[in-house]
Amino acid sequence: MTTGTAAAVRLDHVRRQYGETVALDGVSLEIRAGEAVAVMGPSGSGKSTLLNLIAGLDRPSAGRVTVQGDDLTGLDETGLALFRRRHIGMIFQFFNLLDDLSALDNVALAAQLTGTPAAQARRRALDLLDELGIGDRARTYPAVLSGGERQRVAVARALMNRPAVLLADEPTGALDSHSGEQVMDLLLDLHQIGQTLLLVTHDVRLAERCAGRVIELADGRVTAERTLEGHP
Amino acid sequence: MSAVWSVALAAVRRRRLQSAILALVVLCSTVAIVVALGLLEASSWPFDRTFAEQRGAHVVATFDRATVPDALLTRTAGRPGVEAAAGPFGQKALTVADTRQSLPPGPLTVVGRPGPGGPVDRVDLWTGRWAARPGEIVVNRPVEPLFSDLVGATVRTREGMTFTIVGLASSVSRTAEAWVTPAQMRTMNPTATQMLYRFTEAGDLRAATASVTAGLSPSGVQSYLTVKQDVSRTASAYLPFLVGFGLLGLLVAVLIVANVVGGAVVAGQRHIGVLKSLGFTPDQVMAVYLVMVLLPGSAGCLVGTGLGALISQPLLHRVFAGTGAAIGLGVGWWAYLTALVGVPAVVVLAALVPASRAHRLSAAESIRAGGGRRSGRGQAIQHLLSGTPLPRSVSLGLGLPFARPGRSALTLAAIVLGVAATTLATGLFRTMTAYGDTAQRVGHVHSVVHVGRPDQIRPKLGDAAIEALLRAQPGVRHVTADAWIDVRLLGHTSRIKAQFLRGDAATRGDVVVAGRYISGPGEVAAPSAFLRRFGLRVGDRLTLALGDARTQATIVGEVMDAANDLVIASWPTLTALDPGRSATQYEVRLAPDADVETFHAAVKAAEPGLYPRTKSQVDQNSVAVIGAASFFTLILGVVASLGVFNTVVLNTRERRRDLAMLKSIGMTPRQVTLMTVTSMAALGVLGGLVGVPVGIASHRVVVLAMMEAAGLSAPAILLDVWHVAALAALVVAGVAIAVLGAFLPARSAAALTIAEALRTE
Ligand SMILES: Nc1ncnc2c1ncn2[C@@H]1O[C@H](COP(=O)(O)OP(=O)(O)O)[C@@H](O)[C@H]1O
Ligand SMILES: [Mg+2]
Repeated sequence: MTTGTAAAVRLDHVRRQYGETVALDGVSLEIRAGEAVAVMGPSGSGKSTLLNLIAGLDRPSAGRVTVQGDDLTGLDETGLALFRRRHIGMIFQFFNLLDDLSALDNVALAAQLTGTPAAQARRRALDLLDELGIGDRARTYPAVLSGGERQRVAVARALMNRPAVLLADEPTGALDSHSGEQVMDLLLDLHQIGQTLLLVTHDVRLAERCAGRVIELADGRVTAERTLEGHP
Repeated sequence: MSAVWSVALAAVRRRRLQSAILALVVLCSTVAIVVALGLLEASSWPFDRTFAEQRGAHVVATFDRATVPDALLTRTAGRPGVEAAAGPFGQKALTVADTRQSLPPGPLTVVGRPGPGGPVDRVDLWTGRWAARPGEIVVNRPVEPLFSDLVGATVRTREGMTFTIVGLASSVSRTAEAWVTPAQMRTMNPTATQMLYRFTEAGDLRAATASVTAGLSPSGVQSYLTVKQDVSRTASAYLPFLVGFGLLGLLVAVLIVANVVGGAVVAGQRHIGVLKSLGFTPDQVMAVYLVMVLLPGSAGCLVGTGLGALISQPLLHRVFAGTGAAIGLGVGWWAYLTALVGVPAVVVLAALVPASRAHRLSAAESIRAGGGRRSGRGQAIQHLLSGTPLPRSVSLGLGLPFARPGRSALTLAAIVLGVAATTLATGLFRTMTAYGDTAQRVGHVHSVVHVGRPDQIRPKLGDAAIEALLRAQPGVRHVTADAWIDVRLLGHTSRIKAQFLRGDAATRGDVVVAGRYISGPGEVAAPSAFLRRFGLRVGDRLTLALGDARTQATIVGEVMDAANDLVIASWPTLTALDPGRSATQYEVRLAPDADVETFHAAVKAAEPGLYPRTKSQVDQNSVAVIGAASFFTLILGVVASLGVFNTVVLNTRERRRDLAMLKSIGMTPRQVTLMTVTSMAALGVLGGLVGVPVGIASHRVVVLAMMEAAGLSAPAILLDVWHVAALAALVVAGVAIAVLGAFLPARSAAALTIAEALRTE
């Protein structure tokens, strides 16, 4: 919102190939700061691959990925890890919480990684969990949380370092409709306070509610792009 | 760093079973390693080390005090070839009275010495102090806390003297049984004088001694070689086996620690992906995994070192107890240090290999790996199995190992290693028992009858009459007459011993490894070590010399014995050298129902000049050594089982999601358990079938190498130690451990509600 047209994420002719399979085939796109974009497409079309490339979890076979002005292709593994801590928050379909840690510690961990002392990290984590309505579940372990609760813990963890870009890979895919609804509201709220958001989903409703722009992928290519009404 | 710590700590805390198994495996392995190192240290020529440390006497010479004045002896220290000398010290043999206190009754050789130090024989005064005034005595005892009680005790002698024990000292040269002050010795009217010599050149002891004592005619000369032989006789026979067990213990412990640690890291793949997506650097991920295995690993190592210290001391003492050596058998600090530093290092190394894979693995891929991709091969095999008439849960279980070939390979490796190690250990144990039985001639000779020495009652009967007398006793089956005689081997400078045998020599239980046993005149059989030492072979001829007499003999056989200075020869060979010689002992085999004591009483009654002794059928030393072997067999078995159990538990846990999926399509909990257990039982059977031959093969390699090292040719009895039933039991044990390791987590997975299991990836 503040930086106007500055690109938070930029892909130039990105290609990603796994052996014979071409997961992404020459994708170029740009996401402005404060924008919320939904990526849609059939399964196997390359959505997760796209997200992983932006998060620096994976490297393109060709092309260039730039996030917040950093060219990811130029970073080594450690550089990518530091980049993720600073700029990226990730949410997965299957939550990917650490089963060994309580909800609170899962969230606090993200801040601890950036050097925040444990006590301070916990305080902020508890605040976040409260905000997301699951402060009372802070001391429990992921195994006993419901799917919706787990996803909210995952969201809290992703937001912990105030990431420039929030990446969500089918965040409601494993949830019942009620929990899915709650997570959707959460993402919408985040977008409205200016969070840059890239959302992969099958769910047209989710896309329409949260995103201002939809990118369609098929067979690793961008096949359509449309801007939705009523969004910045 | 704090993020790394909290993740690693949480992982250790929440994976209690896995951490506990890791700690336990490391603990057992560390105990085995400490004991093995102690064993290796104790076996590496304890005599030589102590001898060098104490500047032991190469020769202890005694002189008649009446004919050789001290002044002459003092001058011998300056003679050529003498590196150092101590003495002259007065020496007197006292007789301890039977007071049922302190020292056992009987003769006690006492020497007057001013202190424990000096240029030669620096005895180890390990408790108390040296005698300072008359009435005080220091007693020679090995370093063994048990003896400490002796300090302060009173010793009375038949000569009417009374001493208080003020200290205990240990002399590796066995120069005296007790020491008093020189002043006290003078009042005791010593009959002999003692001189202790170290030579610059100890190669030819006889010549060196002769040159130093020239013109003084010593009344006694004790060579350090005699003492040394005595000390290492029992230990050395078993040494190759003990060393073998020690090395085996080290190797297996290291391999299994590596397997368990590696398994823990491999199992954490998805966890690694999550950490990376959060922004953990590759190095931090490695650090998490290293800390995660090092915490329980170090705990196990610490406790294991402590336990090892507790166990190894008494174990080593038992093993080497028969030697009677005045040697402290401490496990050196280096052994503990090696365990304390080495074991965690092994843990770290074992973790580094898979952890560095995690380091390289792209985060996107680690996360995907949690999703349970199936290999095409796995699907093909499942398809094949589904066509069989087996119950579906069994055929599914049989196909499971192929779905994750990597994990299955690790599990299989653990089972093969476990079964092979246990097979090898059992085989070594049996080989050693067979070896001990051979050395003891168990079942072949029950009694050895000595002819009275000059200081004992001399027999009235002649050689032939004694043999006839023994044969005439009821219950006697076989009698072999032996004469042990020092002979020379023509063409060689060193002296050897020949054991000439008459009578039923073939029943003595000598094990022939090549050629045949002696049967006629001019035939000898020699131990492998002897043949190797002199570069001889079966079929070669040699010339034996005794005094001026010579006789030719043919080596007709190679026998199993570690001696390198001994040949066994037929009696006519001795007759050819000296017809006047007679047997010095008779080896007797009795009928199975005959009583040895009755036989002995009858012999003693018929001829008081004979001294019969029961030939022990169970050697105390071999019992102790076999105890050490059992210890290793047991601990290796436990470690191997834990390794297998751990791998199977991990493997089954990882499949929880698959299991839930199967339940969601209608599998009952019972079917889930059956399927999981079947999958591991299949691996167990395979592992057992591969592990047993691997164990047998390595047993062969190890035994051959050990026998080679000991200079022995291995006869079949040491290699063919296998019983089909025992081998089958080993395979069954492998399967049982795998099934148990699968059953527990499978049951808990089966009990999960589907939704819950599906949620936990
Ligand atoms: N690590 C990988 N190794 C091999 N193939 C992969 C890998 N990741 C993705 N793919 C393949 O790339 C294509 C796109 O996958 P993905 O991005 O996960 O699709 P989506 O998220 O849209 O369902 C698929 O065909 C998938 O099988
Ligand atoms: Mg996807």
